[in-house]
Amino acid sequence: MTGTLETQPAPAAAATGTTRDVGIAIIGSGFAGLGMAITLKRRGEEDFVLLERAGDVGGTWRDNTYPGAACDVQSNLYSFSFAPNPDWGRSYSEQPEIQAYLQAAADRFDVRRHCVFGADVTSARWDDAAQRWLVSTAVGEFRVRVLVSAAGALADPTYPDIPGLGSFAGTVMHTARWDAEHDLTGERVAVIGTGASAIQVVPAIQPVVGSIAVYQRTPSWVVPRTDHPVKPWMRRLYRFEPGLQKAIRAALYLLREFLVIGMAKQPRFLRPVARLAKAHLHRQVRDPKLRAALTPDYTIGCKRILISNDYFPAIAAPNAELVTAGIAEIRPHSIITKDGVERPTDTIVLATGFHVTDLPIAGKIRGRAGRTLAEVWADGMVSNRSATVAGFPNLFLLVGPNVGVGHTSMVYMIESQLAYVDDALQTMDAEGLAVLETKPEAQEAYRELIAEKSRGTVWLAGGCASWYLDEHGHNTTLWPDFTFRFRKLMKKLDRENYVGIPAGTDRTEVAA
Amino acid sequence: MTGRTVLRRVAAVPTPDGAQLHAVVDGSDDAPVTLVLAHGWTLAQAAWDDVAALLAPRIADGELRLIRYDQRGHGRSTWGRYANDVAELSIDQLGADLGVLLDELVPTGPVVLAGHSMGGMTIMCLAAARPELFGDRVRGVALVSTSAGDLAPAGETLAERLQLKLAPGLVTVAIGGARALERVRQLLPPSHPRHQKMVRELLYGADATDRMVVAGAEIMHASTVRAFAAFYPALGDHDKRTELDALRAVQVEILVGDSDKLTPQRHSRQLAQALPDAGLHLAERTGHMLPQERPQLVSDVLERLIAAAVEDRAAA
Repeated sequence: MTGTLETQPAPAAAATGTTRDVGIAIIGSGFAGLGMAITLKRRGEEDFVLLERAGDVGGTWRDNTYPGAACDVQSNLYSFSFAPNPDWGRSYSEQPEIQAYLQAAADRFDVRRHCVFGADVTSARWDDAAQRWLVSTAVGEFRVRVLVSAAGALADPTYPDIPGLGSFAGTVMHTARWDAEHDLTGERVAVIGTGASAIQVVPAIQPVVGSIAVYQRTPSWVVPRTDHPVKPWMRRLYRFEPGLQKAIRAALYLLREFLVIGMAKQPRFLRPVARLAKAHLHRQVRDPKLRAALTPDYTIGCKRILISNDYFPAIAAPNAELVTAGIAEIRPHSIITKDGVERPTDTIVLATGFHVTDLPIAGKIRGRAGRTLAEVWADGMVSNRSATVAGFPNLFLLVGPNVGVGHTSMVYMIESQLAYVDDALQTMDAEGLAVLETKPEAQEAYRELIAEKSRGTVWLAGGCASWYLDEHGHNTTLWPDFTFRFRKLMKKLDRENYVGIPAGTDRTEVAA
Repeated sequence: MTGRTVLRRVAAVPTPDGAQLHAVVDGSDDAPVTLVLAHGWTLAQAAWDDVAALLAPRIADGELRLIRYDQRGHGRSTWGRYANDVAELSIDQLGADLGVLLDELVPTGPVVLAGHSMGGMTIMCLAAARPELFGDRVRGVALVSTSAGDLAPAGETLAERLQLKLAPGLVTVAIGGARALERVRQLLPPSHPRHQKMVRELLYGADATDRMVVAGAEIMHASTVRAFAAFYPALGDHDKRTELDALRAVQVEILVGDSDKLTPQRHSRQLAQALPDAGLHLAERTGHMLPQERPQLVSDVLERLIAAAVEDRAAA
């Protein structure tokens, strides 16, 4: 099998055998990792490294280069508050522009010299005696005081467990591991999945492929995309009056926050959105049978609401086919569905998403008791304030449990977390703490808070299985309330929920 | 998965003027014979689904390849050069489209063609334009609920004369106001009992089940006001009564329902007169939607044409 299933960037350099001592190590250089680095830089902190497995910054926006990749949130909102960009070309940016923005931010705040590229983290172990994290990477060892995991939730692609996928003789590409060299012109292409990546890649490739079969398990709710180019005079205005862009950002934020009322408080407020989505489908698809196949049977918002103006027309195109019979088996040159139909196929595009509820980084981080985070989380991810875990001192998670949002900008959530982690780091410095660790009671209380807020929300009660819920049906990925409440909660470190050990003492705990 | 599978591929066949014809090809490319089904006015390939289901075992056994396609401006197929102006649209264009489809998807091997209503006229147009295809390549033809011409009102009564006079203007208005008309159409969807009653009375015979009527109404609902209006004058202009010679070279079966209101029996009897060797099948208590109403009869006739086409090849 050719393709991109197993490709990983080659290590930038061989392991040197020496161990570097650093104050802070940040895993990942996407929006979260870069944001953390910039936060540190802005207050003069220089003693940190960014461990990046690839050869460039950007994270999710570096990896997802499939045709049509774009953001579902307006760029005026989906960007760092401290790095506004008056030059966005469209209201909703496409991947190359967002990636360029992240690269520019890394340059502007001089973050690149802190980056260690090719540094795929293989393990991170807490050494309780030394009060340090020992981080092994593909390019060497690091001994650090504080470890920040900004590895993110949309980092590691999931591959479906379909019999015969490994025997396929054509090309298999995951959308997050796109091979731009592979020419799809005239090919018979299968797209597996109908989530956020699928509805972007399908209309982008449909005009060039010979035929396209979209294998759908569950249809998505799709609303119109109000994307438009940003006029040059508007860009000049943003440059001249940055306050205007800020005001628009605030307005977009507020508008999107109204969705929370429907998703987390009163599902009936989502009915107009469902009507909009149905009218959109009705206008774009004439065939009642196709329309029925594309109509979800669960409450809108239960899975991520998607935005697109060209997905339905692409599905209804002369060279397209929506396949709803489940896949039974993949053979070297074809895909067979459970209704006994065999479709000869040249290339399979897997738009099957990411490891979200089982973050792969958790299997690599070992806490005080020698157990990995994944082992501790076997019954579901728990944390205090989405950032810290008992038994894992001096570890901070960004874009970890219950930070996800489906309705607004992830960057807003990340910046809320940055404030929290930075306050924790500054508290450690101010109090002269070598170790800071959250208490089990605190994460129990936070778990209950999340469970309480999640009760009755559309994600739990909407009648769908989504990547928001873990295998036990618990919401361990989404923040189930207004995002300004998250920001308020993350404004300052809840010192009372932590145990600190001052530097120089040997395991003498200092409670709040 | 064990057991037989049916190969399926979707093709968008490009025509010289830039249209794309959506075709679904079932079965192996090395099947001994290919059956191509052409649907009628404001319908789509789904109108043949019941017949196709009866032929499925033959396809799974590798004895038959089946091609269903959407006619220009119908279903998923596009309009090509008629996207902005339908004035020159004719059924001859549909015949040319079928020729392109055969060249592209069935360049060699025996072929059986079946056309329902406008699809039957499509085959007649192909036979008139490319008679050389009929004989060795196309070996059998089924003409279902169709006509060789003379569909426009004769202009004998005042009402008919008025209709003839107004029709071109009405078509223009309908196409111009297609968007508004579509909206009006949404007010009476196929799920509505009145809609079903209208469809039943116009198109179906006494034995038609509600399931058939709803399925047919949904297919028609999926087609556009534009297709309805654009092809209306083209159907009136269709006249191949003197150009059926090529069809004499192949086995032809003519099928019609006794209660067909759109293409009444006399049209099929005219065809049978012009093609003396053709078989004529009159289905009782059956309307215009014969492939849906009598799928078994249609598939039996097609099976005979398929068998004969393969025998011909064995003999040759």
